[in-house]
Amino acid sequence: MAEIQTAESGARKKGEGKVRAKKLSTRVDLTPMVDLAFLLITFFMLTTTLAKPQIMPVVMPEKKIEKEDVVETKESQVLTLLLGANDKVYYYEGITDPKLDSTDFSAEGLRKVILDKKRRVKEEWGDMERDDPKNPGQKKMISRLNVLIKPTKESRYKNLVDAFDEMKITNVAMYVLLDISEQEEEFIRNPAGGLKFSVEEQIEAIQKSVKKTQ
Amino acid sequence: MPKHKPPRHTPTIDMTAMCDVSFLLLTFFMLTAKAKPQEPVVVDTPSSISETKLPESGTLTILIDKEGKVFLDMAGQHTRYALINEINSQYQLGLTEDEKKKFSIFGAFGVPRKDLRKWLAMNSTERQNAANFPGIPSDTVGNELGPWIHNARLAQFRLKQEGVVPEEYVIVIKADKDTPYPAIQKVLNTLSDINVNKFNLITNMETDPNKIQGL
Repeated sequence: MAEIQTAESGARKKGEGKVRAKKLSTRVDLTPMVDLAFLLITFFMLTTTLAKPQIMPVVMPEKKIEKEDVVETKESQVLTLLLGANDKVYYYEGITDPKLDSTDFSAEGLRKVILDKKRRVKEEWGDMERDDPKNPGQKKMISRLNVLIKPTKESRYKNLVDAFDEMKITNVAMYVLLDISEQEEEFIRNPAGGLKFSVEEQIEAIQKSVKKTQ
Repeated sequence: MPKHKPPRHTPTIDMTAMCDVSFLLLTFFMLTAKAKPQEPVVVDTPSSISETKLPESGTLTILIDKEGKVFLDMAGQHTRYALINEINSQYQLGLTEDEKKKFSIFGAFGVPRKDLRKWLAMNSTERQNAANFPGIPSDTVGNELGPWIHNARLAQFRLKQEGVVPEEYVIVIKADKDTPYPAIQKVLNTLSDINVNKFNLITNMETDPNKIQGL
């Protein structure tokens, strides 16, 4: 190649005086490069998880509960939620001859029930002071309402998360996940029959559900 | 008059700008990319208002699929190796060094201990197929999930003491929103058995209604 060029340049020298290099266009067709870039973009977009998932921290009670750790509560401060099949929630207040009602997980349903109960608890008993976990050394007022969450065998995982979520939305500080008792299952099947469940049995059931796994 | 023909241009478009943009995007995606973890089951998590983010590393994930099958996945090659060593000697599985090495780099598993060797012999496509696995037994009788988690936490704790890993395990439960509660209950009971009282549930983001109302 170099040889040919010298020959040509030699020939030109005879004719015209000046040699001018031929101007080549510096334009490169970038279309394939763009194609490639977009292909890679698509690949990375599909294989990445941009949004990191959220987590909901849960703290369960210890397996062994000492007598000293048990805090007594008033019956009128307790609300029990029974998570049923088909996203239904059954609830009753207190323990002596309660009335079973049902609602759903919508904002107008369960949230209203909890807020209503919370308001009534506050009217009757007022709020109580507790250490603020976010600002150590400081106190904050929390509701005295206790919510017991008891999922039935027919409920699904979403119901449990929704119930926990509702506690957070309505600012209920004291709630616990417990196993459902036979009496309560019967209560759902036959609400008219009433709940045959004494305070002692309730306490026993709580201790059993906590200690059952030993 | 003769017809005036407009001169024909070849429709060339300057691609430089487009190229710039696409490479900018490409760079962005490459830098923010974090490969999706390979999981044998597709899990559709429920949503909650919680805003806590999942930690980048040091997680021990319990996967529960729609049918209630339990899978286990943990981060950290060193811990996994220490764990399989421990489980191997505790239950006399008789795994070879090669199989242990394999375990330390594989992802989520959901087989009873006796089938562990079969799982290790599978290729990567077979390992992604949930139908191949019965899940880790989590019933009260013959519970294998408890020992796995307990030993994994122990291994991670020891490695932390030695300074190999920076943190202890954060236990996260990733369950499908349609998983029946009894399956969840079994796992929760198992965790309470081995004294794990603090754990996290993986959820999708949902807007806090209090924030919308400005309360």
